[in-house]
Formats: sequence, C-alpha cells, structure tokens
Amino acid sequence: MTSSLLANLLTEPPGVAHYMTVGAVMFVCGAMCMATKRNALGVLMGIELVLNGANLNFIAFGSKYLDNGGPQLGLDGSLIALFVIVLAAAEAAVALAIALNFYNNHDSIDVDRADQLQG
Amino acid sequence: MNLHTLIDSLISDTLQKSLPLFGPELVLCATIVVLLLARVLPLLDRIPPVVIAFVGAVAALIAAVPQEGLASFGGIQSQEIFTGMLVYDGLTAYFKLFLMAFAVLFVILSHLTGIADRDDGQDYFSLVFGATIGMCIMVSSNHLLTMFLGVEMASVPSYVLAGIVKGRRRSSEAALKYAVYGAGAAGVMLYGTSLLAGLLGSAHFPTMVGRLVEFDLPTRIADRELTVMVLALAGLMVGVGLAFKLSAVPFHFWCPDVFEGASAEVGGFLSVASKAAALALLVRVAIGMTYEHPTSDKLGSPPRDVAAIQQSHPELPVQFVAQQRSTDDESTSDPAAEEGPLDPVRSFVVTLIGIVSIVTCTFGNLAAYGQRNIKRMLAYSTIAHAGFMMMPVAAAVALVGMGKTAAASEAIAALMLYATIYLFMNLGAFAIIAFMRNSMQSEEIKDYSGLIGRSPLIAVAFTVILFSLVGLPPLAGFWPKLRVLQALFEANSPLLMFVMVAAAANTALSLVYYLRVAKTMCIDREADGTRPVALGFLQTAFVLAMALPVVLYGLDPERIARWTQQAASGLFQ
Repeated sequence: MTSSLLANLLTEPPGVAHYMTVGAVMFVCGAMCMATKRNALGVLMGIELVLNGANLNFIAFGSKYLDNGGPQLGLDGSLIALFVIVLAAAEAAVALAIALNFYNNHDSIDVDRADQLQG
Repeated sequence: MNLHTLIDSLISDTLQKSLPLFGPELVLCATIVVLLLARVLPLLDRIPPVVIAFVGAVAALIAAVPQEGLASFGGIQSQEIFTGMLVYDGLTAYFKLFLMAFAVLFVILSHLTGIADRDDGQDYFSLVFGATIGMCIMVSSNHLLTMFLGVEMASVPSYVLAGIVKGRRRSSEAALKYAVYGAGAAGVMLYGTSLLAGLLGSAHFPTMVGRLVEFDLPTRIADRELTVMVLALAGLMVGVGLAFKLSAVPFHFWCPDVFEGASAEVGGFLSVASKAAALALLVRVAIGMTYEHPTSDKLGSPPRDVAAIQQSHPELPVQFVAQQRSTDDESTSDPAAEEGPLDPVRSFVVTLIGIVSIVTCTFGNLAAYGQRNIKRMLAYSTIAHAGFMMMPVAAAVALVGMGKTAAASEAIAALMLYATIYLFMNLGAFAIIAFMRNSMQSEEIKDYSGLIGRSPLIAVAFTVILFSLVGLPPLAGFWPKLRVLQALFEANSPLLMFVMVAAAANTALSLVYYLRVAKTMCIDREADGTRPVALGFLQTAFVLAMALPVVLYGLDPERIARWTQQAASGLFQ
C-alpha cells in the first residue's frame, strides 16, 4: 500500500498530495528539532518549521489550481496563511526577547540549564 | 453582484452590525494605544498608568454589559459578526462580561500589590489587556482562524507576563519554558487545523459541521478509509493546543513551573482568565463540531423538529420545547436506531474529553500533596479544577447526541457557574499570596504557620477560600460541583458515570492538601523569627471583597445560576 502511494506521488502531476507530503515532512522535521535541540534558538527554528509546514497545507488546500476532489477551502486558505506568517513573526520576536532575558540571567541559552523549577 | 455592492454590504455589515457588538474589545484596544502613547506624550506621562488602565477596564466592563441589562442573557439572539468570523450569543456576552470584570479586579489587585509601578505600568497593563482581547476572541470564535488567533493573542502576552519581573533567574526560566512549550503546542494545533480545514473544505464551524454530516462518517468507518484516520489525527492535534491552554494532562508541565516562577498576580491571571477562556473555546469547538443548528436544511437531523414545534407553538419557551422533544424521542425511537452521521464525532469527543478530564483531575490532586511552595500547590489545584471543569463539556456533547439540548445547556451553565465562582476563590487566594509575599518575602507553606495569631482576618479569609476550593457546603464552591455531577449523571453513559464517580472521589482527595494549609495557618504554632504581617486597609478590603461572595453566595444562589442558564441556552437556539 505504501509503495503504491509513493508510486502515485512520483508518477502523477503535482497535486494537493505532493504539497501535503512536503508539509508533513516539514512538520516532522520541526517536531524532531523541537524535541532534540538543546539550544533555545534551535527549538525556535523547529517551531518555525512546524508553522510553515502547516502554512504549506493551507496554501495547497486553498489553491483553485490544485483539485483535491472534495470541497475547496478557497481564499480562506491563503488568508489564514498570511495571518500565520504575521503571528509567527510576532511569536519569534517575543520568544527571542525571552531567550535574551534568559541569557542575561543564566549566561547560556541551553534549555537544559532551565532546571531550577522542577515540573 | 458587482464589486461596489459587495464593498457596500461589507461596510454596512462591519459598521452597523459587528462593531457595536465588539465594543469591549475596542475599548481595550484604545486603552492599550493610550498606555503606549503615554511614554511619548509628556502630558499623559503625568497620569499614573494604573489610572488609565482602571478607567479603560471599567469602560470595557460597562461596554460588555448586554444592551437590555444583566438579566437579558436569554434574549440575545445568536448572530455571526465580521462575516462569520466571530459569533455573538449568550455565551459570548457572559464570558466577555466575566473577562472584563476580571480585568477591573486585576487592575486593582496589581495596584495594591505594587507589581505595576510607574516605570513598568504601561508595559504590564498593555500586555494584560492584549491577552484579555485574545481571550475575548477565543470565547467568541466561530472560525478556525479566529480560534488560532485568539489562542495566540492570549498566549504571547502571557509568555512575557510570566517573565515580567526583571533580574530573577526563576522568572526568566518560567518565561522561557512557557514560550517554548506554548509555541510548540500552537504549532501542532495549527497543523491539525490545516488538516481539518483541508479535509472539510471550510474553516467556518457551522459549515464544517454541515460538511461532516455530508462526509458520511459511519459508512467511511465501515469501509476503513484512511481519510477517517487523518480526520481523527487532526482532531487530536487541535486537542493538543486546547489541552495546553487548559493545562490538561499530559500537556500540563508548564503550569507548576510558570506559576512558581512568575509572580503571584500573573498566576492569578493565568489560572482564572486564561482557564475560563480556554474552557469557553473548548465549548465552542466541542459543541460546534457536534451540534447542527436547526436552521440548516438537512432532512431528518434531530434539532430540526425543535424548530418545527417552535413554529407551531411560538409561545413555548425553547427549553420546554426541547424537553418535550426529547421525551417524544424516547417514546418513539426504537433502540436499534440507525447511527446518525455525527455520532462517531460525538463519541470521539466525549471519550477524549472524558478520559483527559479524569486523568487531569486525579493527577492534579495527587501531585498537589507534596508541594511546599504555596503557588506550586495552587498550580496543581488549578490543573485539578480545570479537569473538573472539562467534565460538563463531555456531558453536554453526550446529551446533544441524545437530543436532550435542554440538559446539555444545563451542563454548560454548570461550567459557567463554576468559572464564575472560581474567579472569586482563586483571585482571592492569589491576592493573599501576593500580599503575604510583600509583607514576609516568602511563598513557602511553612512560613504561613501561626498566621491566625498574626493576621486573623487574612487567615480566616484564606481558610474560607480553601474550604470553598474543596467544595464543602454551604460555601460557594460546592454548588457548581453539584451541578457538574448532576450533568454527568443526566448523560447516563458508562464512561460518564465513571467520570462522575472519579470526580466525587477527587473532591475527597483534594480535602487533604487544602486542609493541610488551613491547619498550618490556624493550628500550627508560629515559627520563631517570623516577621509580623502588616496589611493596609485597602489590601484587607480587597481580600474580604473576594472572600465574602464565597460565603454569601448561598443567600441568593438562583440569580447567577439563572444568568448562566439563560446565557448557555443561546448555544442551542
């Protein structure tokens, strides 16, 4: 079953499935990055990857040139993607400021150093 | 329709219909702008920021009162504003009023504890109001975009608030942990949202539920289609984001750390306003995905005959009609009835929320035992209460599935009553912790020993609040718990019966750790070398203003309960 899915992806002209595959790969890379990086900036990059993976999905679902065989999301998809881009920038700005504040207090942005509070 | 008429209708919809109902948020936005400009304009800079914030919050509270007065929640017609992005109904109106009242109290508390001094005040109050606007969007969201925007707008200022105390190692650590966990959960939630929107071809809740009906889930499940798996996965991912906001197990790690690291005032903000908004959003999503409005023209969908009866007997109140219909249903439907198109969604949501709520409640109560820091203990208590407050949502979805919309709206009303009473209990508790921190520089439970001798009024008020958090009658905390249990009993399914038993057992569990603090304060001897506690008149008055409603609630319990019931009935119009 998996091999037939892969064969379909490789032989058919680009459609929603291809974009979703790229989006899923980006999501998994981002999630792995969040889970394994010890540097706070690395974690933030992982978050950025996850958000953009989701954005790719929104764009693909919203495009009228890519038919997924079901009801179309239309312009909503592109609009949500625009909002998410702005939000991601705002979130990154805040997270970087917080990371800087952490660095000032701990002389490091290694997330393993955040161990005074034991969850 | 050409572009001209389109723009005309958009403008009239925005100006005449949407913006008047968006008043409280607009007032808060204006307050934020004034607060930020105050740094630049010398004339404004002379006014203390707390005055501007207080005036803004009170104006927003007045704007949040429904047009026909406080008793008119039932009369609010559910209507979509901003072209379907937000919805304004009784639930929205009630929670907006709740959030604005909380904002006023919170500004007063911040002034009394002195956390927002002249230098930091502008930033602090802008962040608080920004988060409050995000919470208002959460409670009124009707679209996946506004859901995500609301969650982010409420979260991002909260990350900063957690670290607002400069130069404290713990505070910066709490902020970093909160930001990293929060951003991760938001990313996962957004990915789930994208899958959900793509599969259903819409991001508008009422349209999505219509598509879910057309999707014909029972047949697809029988055919073992992969699409169903993707849909379930998307639902789980959206659930991750909501569970993070609710601090539900297994996404609760941030909660105790953030509460311990952040100042007590911010803890109060996160545990009351943020939780209430997240619960309202959970109601929006859970009910929105499982309840089809009677106006939709699907043949044979259950709520339709409510509308039919209402048309023939317009004088009947909605609740009565719904009850009449549910009794009709019980007598006519045969037990082997065909599975409705939304039933798989309902059972998915009920199982998910039910199990998560039991685990959250039990875990919170068990983990609170060993805590030595009072803020950490209250963080676990918040987790436990969040679990408790999720239970009526599961019950409501199950009741909607049985067609008992009146009982479902009772369940939601129980949740709203719980959130309201929780405001007084937890804001009171965190206010006391903040005042005690100012006066004895400690947040350890052992330093509270012998408080009754040093400051009897505060000790008694704190004890009352703790008893109410346990849920002992006749204090206010008991009544919403009773209603939650009642709603779970109504739902009458094996899982929810188990949830009910677990909830009752958890109440008994929680008794021990709350009473331990009460015992430390009232029975234990004062340790040597503790500093005397001196609280100003206003501080004491604030604590009493929080504790008295908890005691006096029993005098007129029907009024607030009636408001919540009217407000909740708007969901099922």
